[in-house]
Amino acid sequence: MAVTVKVMRRPEPGRSSYLRAALRGMGLTFKHLVNPNKVTLEYPEEQPDLSPRWRGTHRMEVHADGRPKCVACGLCPTVCPANCIRLVGGEDDQGNRYPVVYEVDEFRCIFCGMCQEVCPVEAIHVGVHFENAEYTRSRFVYDLDRLMDQQHPTTRLWDPSDRKSE
Amino acid sequence: MAESSPAETVTLTIDGRQVTVPRGTTLLQAAERVGTRVPHYCYHPGLSAPAMCRLCLVEIEKAPKLVPSCITQAADGQVVHTQSEEPLAMRRGVLEFYLQNHPLDCPICDQSGECKLQDYAHAEGRVHGRGREPKRVFGRDDFGGDVVFYGDRCVMCTRCVRFMNEIEQDPRLTVVERGDRSIIDTFFEEGLEGTHYHGNIVDICPVGALLSKDFLFKQRAWDLDHTPSVCPGCSQGCNIELHTRDNLVQRLRPRVNLDVNGHWMCDHGRLDYEWINRGDRVEVPLVGDGREARATGWRAALTSLLERLDGAGPVRAVVSPRLANEDLGAVRALVDALGGGEIVYRSRRAPAEVPLKGFPKLARRRDLEPNVNAARLLGMERVGGDDGTGGLAPFAAHGGVLIVAGDELADQPPDFGERARLYVYLGQHPTAAASRAHFVLPITNFAEQEGSFTNHEHRVQRFWPALEPPGAARPGWLVLGALLAERAGEAAPTRAEVAFERIGAFEGLTYERVGTGGAPIGEDRALPAEAAGGRA
Repeated sequence: MAVTVKVMRRPEPGRSSYLRAALRGMGLTFKHLVNPNKVTLEYPEEQPDLSPRWRGTHRMEVHADGRPKCVACGLCPTVCPANCIRLVGGEDDQGNRYPVVYEVDEFRCIFCGMCQEVCPVEAIHVGVHFENAEYTRSRFVYDLDRLMDQQHPTTRLWDPSDRKSE
Repeated sequence: MAESSPAETVTLTIDGRQVTVPRGTTLLQAAERVGTRVPHYCYHPGLSAPAMCRLCLVEIEKAPKLVPSCITQAADGQVVHTQSEEPLAMRRGVLEFYLQNHPLDCPICDQSGECKLQDYAHAEGRVHGRGREPKRVFGRDDFGGDVVFYGDRCVMCTRCVRFMNEIEQDPRLTVVERGDRSIIDTFFEEGLEGTHYHGNIVDICPVGALLSKDFLFKQRAWDLDHTPSVCPGCSQGCNIELHTRDNLVQRLRPRVNLDVNGHWMCDHGRLDYEWINRGDRVEVPLVGDGREARATGWRAALTSLLERLDGAGPVRAVVSPRLANEDLGAVRALVDALGGGEIVYRSRRAPAEVPLKGFPKLARRRDLEPNVNAARLLGMERVGGDDGTGGLAPFAAHGGVLIVAGDELADQPPDFGERARLYVYLGQHPTAAASRAHFVLPITNFAEQEGSFTNHEHRVQRFWPALEPPGAARPGWLVLGALLAERAGEAAPTRAEVAFERIGAFEGLTYERVGTGGAPIGEDRALPAEAAGGRA
């Protein structure tokens, strides 16, 4: 097979001007200056618009009287693939089962959302939240009080009007 | 459970498979032989069968209607179907009735994971319930003792009532009311308090109606590891399972052994497990001069012990009857190797036996330690009182070699063994009385090692390790076996099996023969306590 060589036609030095290309580049820059479809955000003054399915750090739902909704059934530590939930059940003063210890290690968590999916009483949720900076690593093990104090919206794993995702 | 000679057999076909069983076998038991488990609630192998749960109905060809397999005896030439259309449809219907009033509180129910209603409904029940009426609610009732009753979950199999009537023979439970309002109840406020075997009704309850207060909400059933073991509560040696999690014993459950304990165990043994989980343990070998002790490794400790072992004077030893046969045998061998000497044990004794009337082989024995009989067989003598204390005055002031194995010496003063030229303490727990010890060697307890116990009728029964031993703790037979072997220039026993076979008193028995169900020592060697003079 014969080898073909593409011959580039370049402007000869000294015989062409870069002015046209420079102006085109400046034009592009100016276009983005006034383009309404901007992609960068003025974070943290502006907050990103997260999907309702976003799976971030956990949150525990709370009854009206301040008790956690969790009944310590043990399904979330059982289903958790990252083994990041520690649960110790116990009996409260009314004879109900409740979590004496409930800890989620957010560093170990892979945010699969199965804990929320498996929960029979809709207590533990993953949340629409991503700002988790802390000064120490140990602060990433969220205990029950911390999980109950979280205020961010909880994840909607499925559309309630379309439970079978059809 | 009719008795019959093996010659009288019947041959029948169950689910297309032919099986030959002794005459008198029920269809349910025969089906188990071919690997079919017919669902049932009211039937329990240790109790009578009233055939009232209607769940074990099976089809017999040419029979006019379904028959309860738990009481129907197998007959020659029967063709039985347990999985055909009719029994399946019937079971689905019966299960729907059961679930009509059963609360769906599996998330908070302790039985969840080992619940027969869960299993059957999952395998054969309807996917969705059709009930529209509200479920009837009974709530929770304290039955006294270790038992709490959740009336809503009850399926009215009456196993608990029959257990109290037939086995415990102290009828404390009954069914009151009728129809869907029928419920298990105690008589007035009497409850189960004062009975000694009521923990078994929690085991035999197929659902979560009867639960143990001790285990309530503690762990999930599916998280527990089960290890076959032998109850250390008394010299009866009930076969049990240790249910463990997080390296802690969470509860004890009886293991079926019809020669020893049947399906049952007593409450004393069932609830006496906290000592296994004690956190104050000796974790490393300590070598001291009688004043100060410092931690060291096994090799250094045993080497220096070996140097000091000979020529330190006459030997005396104190052992605990909670040690395994292998450990006691190793102590005996060590004392004999050093020229022989007195070995004593102290044990707690109850004032009386607590027999189980409906199963006379089983009783809470007077000896509240599991292995006093092995100690007796090995020529050890009992000292001290019935509370397991005292009797050690000649040992506290002994001037030669003093060996303490397993006994915590909780009642002894800190200057125990002060005058001993060599004081070796092999134990699980640090104790004041070991502060003058020259060697403190950490050993494991029965839940952390393989070994065997000898029960009151000289039956050797094995147990298996369920927990990780703390730190550098090793089984007593391994420690002493290595010491003895090094001294004699032999190979050390590396397995409990080898250590067991080296004990003369158990000659002829092997771990293989003992198996999971235990085996008796030969009649000629099963000596009564007084006559046991030495190594038999």
